[in-house]
Amino acid sequence: MQLENLNINYWAIAPEIITSLTGVLLMLVDALQKKAERKLNAAVALIGLILALLSVFRLGDGGSYFKGMVVTDPIRIFFSVTILIVAIVATLLASQFVRDEGLPPGEFFTLLLFGTAGMLMLASAGDLVMVFLGLEIASITTYVMAGYRRYDARANESSLKYFLLGSFATAFLLYGMALVYGATGTTNIAAISSAINAGQITSPKLLPVGAAMMLVGFGFKIASAPFHLWTPDVYEGAPTIVTGFMSTGPKAAVFAAFLRVFAAGFATGAPGVGAELHATWLTALAVIAAVTMTVGNVIAISQKNIKRMLAYSSIAHAGYALVGFVTGEYASVAFYMLVYCVMSMGAFAVIQLLARAGDRKTEIADYAGIGFEAPGLTFSLSIFLLSLAGIPPTAGFMSKFFVFKTAWDAPYNLRWLVVVAVVNSIISIYYYLYPIVAMFFRPLTVGFVRPKVSLAAAIALIVTLFGTFYLGILPNRLIHMMENGSRAAQSAQTQVINR
Amino acid sequence: MNLITITTFLPLAGAVVLLLSSALASRGTDQERQNNLYRWIALIVTTVTFFVSVGIVAEFDRSIAAPQLTQKVPWISSLGANYSVGVDGVSVWLVLLTTFLMPISVLASWGVTKRVREYMVFMLTLETGMIGVFVSWDLLLFYLFFEITLIPMYFLIGVWGGERRVYAAIKFFIYTVVGSLLMLVALIAVYFYNAKAAGAYSFDIVEITNRLASNPGLIPQNVKLWLWLAFALAFFIKVPLFPFHTWLPDAHVEAPTAGSIILAGVLLKMGTYGLMRFNLPFFPDISHKAAPYVMALAVVGIIYGALVAMVQPDMKKLVAYSSVSHLGFVVLGIFSFTDLAMQGALYQMLAHGVSTGALFLCVGIVYERRHTRMIAEYGGIATPMPQYSTMFLIVALSSLGLPLLNGFIGEFLILLGAFASPVPHAQLFAVLGATGVILSAVYLLWMLQRVVFGEVKKRENAELEDLDAREKWALVPLVAMAIVMGLAPMFFLSASEKSVNAVREAVIGKPAGVAVER
Repeated sequence: MQLENLNINYWAIAPEIITSLTGVLLMLVDALQKKAERKLNAAVALIGLILALLSVFRLGDGGSYFKGMVVTDPIRIFFSVTILIVAIVATLLASQFVRDEGLPPGEFFTLLLFGTAGMLMLASAGDLVMVFLGLEIASITTYVMAGYRRYDARANESSLKYFLLGSFATAFLLYGMALVYGATGTTNIAAISSAINAGQITSPKLLPVGAAMMLVGFGFKIASAPFHLWTPDVYEGAPTIVTGFMSTGPKAAVFAAFLRVFAAGFATGAPGVGAELHATWLTALAVIAAVTMTVGNVIAISQKNIKRMLAYSSIAHAGYALVGFVTGEYASVAFYMLVYCVMSMGAFAVIQLLARAGDRKTEIADYAGIGFEAPGLTFSLSIFLLSLAGIPPTAGFMSKFFVFKTAWDAPYNLRWLVVVAVVNSIISIYYYLYPIVAMFFRPLTVGFVRPKVSLAAAIALIVTLFGTFYLGILPNRLIHMMENGSRAAQSAQTQVINR
Repeated sequence: MNLITITTFLPLAGAVVLLLSSALASRGTDQERQNNLYRWIALIVTTVTFFVSVGIVAEFDRSIAAPQLTQKVPWISSLGANYSVGVDGVSVWLVLLTTFLMPISVLASWGVTKRVREYMVFMLTLETGMIGVFVSWDLLLFYLFFEITLIPMYFLIGVWGGERRVYAAIKFFIYTVVGSLLMLVALIAVYFYNAKAAGAYSFDIVEITNRLASNPGLIPQNVKLWLWLAFALAFFIKVPLFPFHTWLPDAHVEAPTAGSIILAGVLLKMGTYGLMRFNLPFFPDISHKAAPYVMALAVVGIIYGALVAMVQPDMKKLVAYSSVSHLGFVVLGIFSFTDLAMQGALYQMLAHGVSTGALFLCVGIVYERRHTRMIAEYGGIATPMPQYSTMFLIVALSSLGLPLLNGFIGEFLILLGAFASPVPHAQLFAVLGATGVILSAVYLLWMLQRVVFGEVKKRENAELEDLDAREKWALVPLVAMAIVMGLAPMFFLSASEKSVNAVREAVIGKPAGVAVER
């Protein structure tokens, strides 16, 4: 094989390179600093992430590099931006977290950066091998981060559960990939697509089995029902900041890969195996979406712990995003995940600040009457919760509206799914209101000391609040960009198919 | 800049000023002085907003049915949503009603001492939301404003409300949100049917109305029924029409006085306004078929509300149930499909806003003195409070529909129009509805008799202070308006005539006005 045919372009993987190198640099910075004052870590991490974000905007319109291992397309760009925003907000919050908890900051930021690199790889993967690599890097770092408070039994439980079940799911995914490779003779997603299209499949039975296994693997990673059982325990036990990080970043990244493998790879309209496979996974995902929303929302109602409640809510939100997924138009999914990440990070930021060191105050009962004691935090939390509930003029409404509109407009009948989603939105309002009721309407029972909010955490809150309103009131430019990108991608795909 | 845009966002700007004002106030000043600053800011902002909105009426051209003073700016182009505002004959008065009631509500909340700044911020945000609902000519924008009104009201009830405020606030929120989410689905569906015919996405209300009117087969009949129901349910809950009214008494009783004034005065009108703006013009045939059923529910609401009001021991609950009864008249009028009844319905919306707002204010005034709303606790307060009692009397008379006061015009027109309505059994409904007028006289006069007249039975009531200056400033404009609206109805009706007529024509077409011409 000729080397030039590989199409090597280091600029095309600049975000991944920058985040990984920053991670390595952080280890050195940490080692060379005095123990007492390790303030540089957060700053270095932040600079690295911002540089990575800038490099995302330099990626250009499209292309496929390293022999199709890495692709640049609108999916990659939107999800990379989302992931990096999550990472930046997490970094801003983490500096206070590690200081308050007295945890070693060096490793935390290194893990965060490596995890981000893995997620970026997931978003850019054009090959199943890359999907696996990215997923493993992202997962393993989050397993460690979940147990970062190593003296805490809950965190240990969380980490171990996450690790065991996550490995199990990865195995499913890997097995699925192997079967798909066996059926099509390639691991390149575009090549898989054209192989299915041209009917060049060695075994028509292997392909759907492989796809089903991959569906299970992805379904686990995005916490969709019935593969969601790990979520509440893991989310509750992990430090709040990590919970926020792993319920947003990896989820968005996996959605990107999921979209590329299924909505692009297995979405060929070729009669026979391709069409059958397409119809099957669409139906399966539509049902999963409906079940996921319902399970997440119904169980969330009875939760007493706010982190657990948000864990179930994050399950429900994966369901809403899947409604956009089954339409095949990823613009709505990309927008939904961006909005979800912004508002969810915001909510977890407040919860972390209110919970204090060691996550002592995470029961909703702890929130009673604190509404006017720390109005900045409580009103922000209310806005994030109302946004999660989809009340206008917040971003949550716009993203839901966009998904519902896309689904209603879909070429096949998904209107029942829209109705299910709306009914679910109604259910969800009940539990999102619950913390607001506790904070503002109930009397203060125990003494309340206003938590100290560092400048970095305040910036993180302002960024997420601004995003929640900006995306809710003036989403025009972004939606426009995404829809154009989506259309361009689809037409490119049809061109491939026609060829 | 557009006058309507200014009116809509001026209160929101005031809310921002309020939020920043505490930073400006020096740390040393005591809490009470700061609270006064917040109150005055809110009062000034709402008063200025009112005067700006008077400008809308001055600029309003009464010979046009279409929206006026419009402003249209692209908002979310890929969805076809615009920032599109304007007023027509129906909405212009509702905007004015809102801006008129707001300074009064602020005055009525002078006694609030808990978290004054946040309270006023919610009041001002609420005002922007309410005005926005009435001026939106874009479906998405309308929905946005419709939902925005929820949150401030939820907080006003939940934080500053009475004993069972949490229950009432949640009930209020859930009821309204269920309705509005169903409406959202219907709204998206209408949007797509319109896009299918037009070839481009649009949320423009005028465009959709015209397209649905010119192309009645666009939406399949069975789908249309569901869409009509989804819209109607959202608005019926808001109105509230029997049997969707159960949230109202709870919300009213627990809400602070100003909350009740706004709730009864404006928020309920968003429901009847929505019926006139969407259900009738969008789905004329379904509205026509549904009319007898809706009228029947309205009549049940009129009589049921009145009967329940009659036995209430709590004044506020009595007024709340009287709202159910009075709003029944409005729905009866809207679904009569005659000019008289629909004009009457609009007039009744305004009159109810003024007189029920005033009733809640009157209840609030004595509640602040005695901290009870039980009728049995009062009696003979005309002796210590002569001015108050006079006002209360006028307000009650206007609410029960005494000629020369505002309530009479609306109810009379509605009953007259309903009697001539082409809807089957309309005469029967009109006759039954008329009993509501009698019943309202019974419960209001009986309450007055027990509260205001007679001997002073309780010692606490003997030394009650009469109205102070602030309360007069709040109550006198309402009473004056009740009298003006009773004496000069044509001033209001002539502005709304064309637009109401256009709605009626959309439902039953031009020739079918025979009974009305008589």
